[in-house]
Amino acid sequence: MPMTDERLWTRVQSFSIDQLHIRIESLIVLILLGALMAFLSPFFLSVSNFMNILLATSTIGVLAIAATFVLSSGGLDLSLGSVLGLSGVVGAAVAVKLNAPMPIAVAATIGAGAAAGLVNGLIITRAFVPAFIVTLGMLGVARGLALVISDGRVIYGLPDAMVYLGQGRPLGIPMPVIIFVVTAVAMHVLLAYTRYGRHTLAIGDSENAARTSGINVDRHRLSLYVLSGALAGLGGLLFATRINSGDPTAGITYELTAITAAIIGGTNLFGGRGSILGTMIGALIMGVLQNGLNLLAVQSYYQQMAIGAVLVFAVFIDQWHVRKESRV
Amino acid sequence: MSFLELNGITKSFGPVGVLHGVNLTVGQGEVVGLVGDNGAGKSTLMKIVTGMYTADEGTITLDGASILHNSPGERRNLGIEMIYQDLALARQQDVASNIFLGREPVRKVLGMSFVDRATMKRDAQTMIDRLGARLPAINRPVGSFSGGQQQSVAIARALTFGPKIVIMDEPTAALAVREVQSVLDLIRQLKDEGIGVILISHRLNDVLSVTDRIAVLHQGRVSANLTTSETTMTDVVSAIVGGADMAEAAAHESRG
Amino acid sequence: MTISTKMTTVGAAAIAAVLAAGAANAQDEGEYGILMKTLANPFWGAMGEGVEDGAEEAGLDYFIQAVESDQAAENQLNVCNTMLQREPVAMITAAINSTNLLPCLSQAEEAGIAIVDLDGNLDPEILAAENIDITFSIGSDNVQAGAQGAEYMVEQLGSDATGSILVIEGLAGNVTGEQRAQGFADRLGELAPGLEIVASLPGDWDRGKAANITNDILTRNPNLLGIFAANDGMALGAVESVFGANKGGDVVVIGVDGNSDAVQSIQDGRLTASVAQLPYLVGKLAVENVQASIAGEDVPDRITVPTLVLTQEVLEAGEEPMLEFVK
Repeated sequence: MPMTDERLWTRVQSFSIDQLHIRIESLIVLILLGALMAFLSPFFLSVSNFMNILLATSTIGVLAIAATFVLSSGGLDLSLGSVLGLSGVVGAAVAVKLNAPMPIAVAATIGAGAAAGLVNGLIITRAFVPAFIVTLGMLGVARGLALVISDGRVIYGLPDAMVYLGQGRPLGIPMPVIIFVVTAVAMHVLLAYTRYGRHTLAIGDSENAARTSGINVDRHRLSLYVLSGALAGLGGLLFATRINSGDPTAGITYELTAITAAIIGGTNLFGGRGSILGTMIGALIMGVLQNGLNLLAVQSYYQQMAIGAVLVFAVFIDQWHVRKESRV
Repeated sequence: MSFLELNGITKSFGPVGVLHGVNLTVGQGEVVGLVGDNGAGKSTLMKIVTGMYTADEGTITLDGASILHNSPGERRNLGIEMIYQDLALARQQDVASNIFLGREPVRKVLGMSFVDRATMKRDAQTMIDRLGARLPAINRPVGSFSGGQQQSVAIARALTFGPKIVIMDEPTAALAVREVQSVLDLIRQLKDEGIGVILISHRLNDVLSVTDRIAVLHQGRVSANLTTSETTMTDVVSAIVGGADMAEAAAHESRG
Repeated sequence: MTISTKMTTVGAAAIAAVLAAGAANAQDEGEYGILMKTLANPFWGAMGEGVEDGAEEAGLDYFIQAVESDQAAENQLNVCNTMLQREPVAMITAAINSTNLLPCLSQAEEAGIAIVDLDGNLDPEILAAENIDITFSIGSDNVQAGAQGAEYMVEQLGSDATGSILVIEGLAGNVTGEQRAQGFADRLGELAPGLEIVASLPGDWDRGKAANITNDILTRNPNLLGIFAANDGMALGAVESVFGANKGGDVVVIGVDGNSDAVQSIQDGRLTASVAQLPYLVGKLAVENVQASIAGEDVPDRITVPTLVLTQEVLEAGEEPMLEFVK
């Protein structure tokens, strides 16, 4: 009897990973967590609260998508939060101080992020400085630049069309949620079903295998950092339009949260394995945890402890899998 | 003119000169052994053939046309394949993903290209069956396979796309006796199919048993170009070692 | 009707009446939601205490939340949104900056929830542009606090003194810090034109940063006469550097907030003075006034809570009535 159960469970796990690209354990944790919160707080189970969870998760979620791509390729981007802040400020400055029309301001926001990513990627692939160092440096430079451009204060008053992206509610769904979900689906398809995605995972798995297969590893890596920066720019756009201003202090410590979400969702910190859907589950686990604890008015210090514990637990489950699957 | 011709290949890394005017030819259906001591320059030479390194001087032609300006990916498309000593596999990916890495079949949907996993799996299974390899499961990560099984995957990767030249770097070094024989049989089969093979190996018995010619690299130069049927272990060893204390070395080699 | 049935009917009616009264009371009061920045800083801790004590004395239900740092802008917005789920009757918020809570406050206003700007973090112009009508804003007059700091410094140094003064500002771009620094600078210029502010640098509310700034300026201006820091945390950092350079007692160091660490330091003779903001009082008055407003009374748009200069003498004498509000 136990033998069959274990084989059945293994089949379920394999199906989950092959077809859905998620670790079934993460999904179970999310559902159990949701049930627990629903049990503990009468305010949890409501459409408006679920919208709140999704809304609160959307900015970090977009950064977590960026982190998933970069981590999967064996890289690291510590500048995500700072680039988010810089992008929001650039977009706001372009909209408010240069009076540019909304499409230009939006393009400037995402473009600022992509430009930062390009700088990261060029230094990493051409000057061979490790990604940790380069993106750590960009973390400081981007934040400083944001403070310089904004003179340390928020830039208020974006055009209505732009504010709609952050505050509009078509059919009752907040726009940032729509943008976030659409981006997540598109990026999931990119990573799981296209050559670009497979090459990303291969580079993280074995740079040697990728190179000898004829993949231009340096060019691919460069494109990944540009993508990461652009996604950080999108995150910056979502937050700035939510509060109708460019805030130079936006996004502080976000890169760590984004990486945490990716890892809880099953991305391998050292590369070779990652899925956007998995990351979304990881981000939602953190979002549900925070939302539930907020509804119960639990101090945010305990929230941080809880998230730290979930992270370690998630990696433990992950490593347990990896050790079972490979020969030592 | 031979199918693959290297002429005057010279390569230095900074002040260190590794290859000094190496000439090498491989014909269609010809098995050439490439032997030499550690540091003789064998792997550097092969990386120049596959395009990973660029030679400082010299020419490489494939079927009469120069391939010096082709990228590694392009050279694979032209038919130059290599099976690496460390296999160069992506251990978290499955068999099909590894075999098709870099040239995954795609389907177009609404103008965008998506990887065709069904075709990949099918073709991978076909190749695995053709090789007669026994693998645990086609969708498990290859890191969970044994060394011999992983090598089958690496071999499949090199043979799936109609190669014309196959380079094997120490393919038998870590294998059991029976597995070694199947690799040698495979080389003979490739020869029958008209595919040129370069075999790098320090197991001189294997080299002597399966090659047509043996090129010996000594300190970055081809010190000997021997016809296998007309040469002995002693000749090979003396060329590798460069003359000193041959008898002792030859005896050592013939033991294993 | 039998006696037992009559009793049951009367009993049921009595219980219903009590329940109805209870329900009416609960609806009258409702829950007060309080959102602070971070409780790590004793200033905000004291304000939180004031709010809690005020609510408890008035017998109100409340729930209080904070975020992990005073830079967690988006997190505070998310917490704010979640708090609205509990449908409070009032939201007393200390916003991290002038825009991060806007969407939440907008929603609160539409739901008819009374909104209190705790400690003047919101910008009236922005609120007007967003059509958010808050009930009132309460806090200390930060400009006045800075001015009082200048007055005390001139008292110590003399109005005809000449020399260098260092100003350590708050977080770059923060309104509170700007007002205190500006208030100090303007008043100093009026009272003692001989005193020159040789540097005015942002300490970001950080003790360590302020200590470093002080070290650097002491190296440049070894005869520095006075330091004004926009909050106590930074002032205490400056004090350490001053004593570390063996100039304790030669330099007048004044902070703002009057928190417990500062009080201790003043009593120990290290920090010269602090312009106490009486955060506890701010919190308490906030609750009292919003309760009044909900009950239908008129409450001013801007409530200013006075500040008190704390020095060693004032603390030792212990006579000042407002000392009870220094926590």
